[in-house]
Amino acid sequence: MSAGGHSSATSGPATLVAVLALCVALLTGAACPDADQVPAEGSDDGMPVLRRAAVAGKETAYSAVREVTGPEGDGSPSHVRVVHRPGDGLALAPVGEEESAFVVRASSALESLDERLLHMLEDTYEVTDAGTAVLDGRRARVVEAGRADGTVAGRFWVDTGTGLLVGSTVYEATGESALSVRLTGLEQGEGDWPEGAVGGAPWGDALTGEERTALRDEGWTLPEHLDWNLRLVDARSTEHSGHRVVHAVYSDGLSQVSVFAQRGKLGAEHSPSLRDGYAGTDMGGRGVTTQHDTIFGGDVGQYQSMWQADGFVYTVLADAPVGIASSAVTALPGPEGSGFWARVHRGMSRLGFL
Amino acid sequence: MDHLGERLSALVDGELGAVEHESALIHLAKCESCRFEADMTRRLKRRLNGLREPEPDLDFMGRLTSLSRDPGPGGRGPSEPPPGGAGFGVRPPLGSSRPLGGFPGGGALTAESAVAAARSGPGVTGAPAATTPTGPVRSQRSERPARRRGGDRLSHLIPAFPGGRYAVAGFAVATALLGTAFVAGGDAQDAPVVEPRLSDYAVEHAVTSRQIPVVQTQPSEARPVGTENPIGYGSTETTR
Repeated sequence: MSAGGHSSATSGPATLVAVLALCVALLTGAACPDADQVPAEGSDDGMPVLRRAAVAGKETAYSAVREVTGPEGDGSPSHVRVVHRPGDGLALAPVGEEESAFVVRASSALESLDERLLHMLEDTYEVTDAGTAVLDGRRARVVEAGRADGTVAGRFWVDTGTGLLVGSTVYEATGESALSVRLTGLEQGEGDWPEGAVGGAPWGDALTGEERTALRDEGWTLPEHLDWNLRLVDARSTEHSGHRVVHAVYSDGLSQVSVFAQRGKLGAEHSPSLRDGYAGTDMGGRGVTTQHDTIFGGDVGQYQSMWQADGFVYTVLADAPVGIASSAVTALPGPEGSGFWARVHRGMSRLGFL
Repeated sequence: MDHLGERLSALVDGELGAVEHESALIHLAKCESCRFEADMTRRLKRRLNGLREPEPDLDFMGRLTSLSRDPGPGGRGPSEPPPGGAGFGVRPPLGSSRPLGGFPGGGALTAESAVAAARSGPGVTGAPAATTPTGPVRSQRSERPARRRGGDRLSHLIPAFPGGRYAVAGFAVATALLGTAFVAGGDAQDAPVVEPRLSDYAVEHAVTSRQIPVVQTQPSEARPVGTENPIGYGSTETTR
């Protein structure tokens, strides 16, 4: 009896210490991100190369064929003819269908967006000048964006002759190529500009910080960060059928994730239709459901997802690695289920219990 | 020497007159048997008086509820007597249906029999008449609390019973919470049904990313966004 009491007397503090140590380990483990989930520090000596390339891209007239390759082993690359004319913009058309070109009109909004993307790249990764290499017969300077754990997240090739960005590759965390872009057949000078082509510019209503705060107060989910490396770099809004739609652009400097949000819910019985050139949706459109399903179409490397959550409909479009796109989606309010417990869970969340 | 007999219980209860009280005390001083019996009777009454009053139980609440709202298959009203001609007042005491104390050979009736046996003296043991309520109604009422006390006393032997009320209360709270959450989790009244314009979104995304999605399966199907036949959305497939 006395021996047992002595044993329990000595094991009590030991158990307490063990429990405290476990709690500390769990808390610190939860608080500390993974080693690669922090911005990479460095001299960023590759940034001047990229800034010069951005300037050259705005001031140089050129035409080329853009070859876009998705994840490794994911089909053949797509080819898009690109024509750039300073002051007018960038014309894009699938090879062989140049008559149906789409023009991204030059605008100050895009110039400022490019500048923010470069800042984000510099903040997130260690951007280093990796020397020169030959790409498709052209001598190019290679710039690498490295993660904190030393792996390469992206690589750029800048033509030493023209100063243009002629290639870029984004890599998954596993090291596999997620999306590659190459410019082939590069020619300086104004090519065949598609006169009268359909054009577009970013939505005109840029949201300031105060306007974003006001929207959040009204219940909109518009975070400044979706993940440690996905920062809000642009936010705009427009109106569809009298209802506000917000377009938020998040980026790590290498990839862009577009989040579209609008107040409402998805209808259950709408037939897919074309209205003035726009695709209508049933449960989010053909192939798109409300259940947070990921839709991979034939579009190279593009990620699409649509769902409804708590009175809003979210649509995510991303030309990004799966890891980036997934982290963006999961950072937003989750999709609503339709069962009893899903509704109870939603109610508990609205009541503040969750 | 005559023993105190019936007067012993009256002595213990303080119901004897002054003369009889003194006479009984004198007898007790001389008679060890009566003194022992008087001592035992006092102990028994002290124990019975020390038992606490029973609390309303689930059976009590259930009976009240059934009386107030359950007309029964015969359409009886709340004020009508139940089948068999038994009214509320002649029903078994509330709470007697629970097996506390167990009537056969123990429990409340055992305590009652002990009192009667003490009154009847040492020569009368196990007399059936002692448990028969032959006295006036007033005496029945005076004995009923003792019966309840006996049953409630034995209720301590059933550990699950005291927690039953808390379980019911917890169940009620959980039900109310689930109901409230279910109502609160309904569709927002002001949320309109919308049809997100995927092509508009694709154009806006293409503008900001300077990338256009191209269907790569067949070159003839490849179209840029914003044209009459928006690309991509006719060939999608759900992968998870």
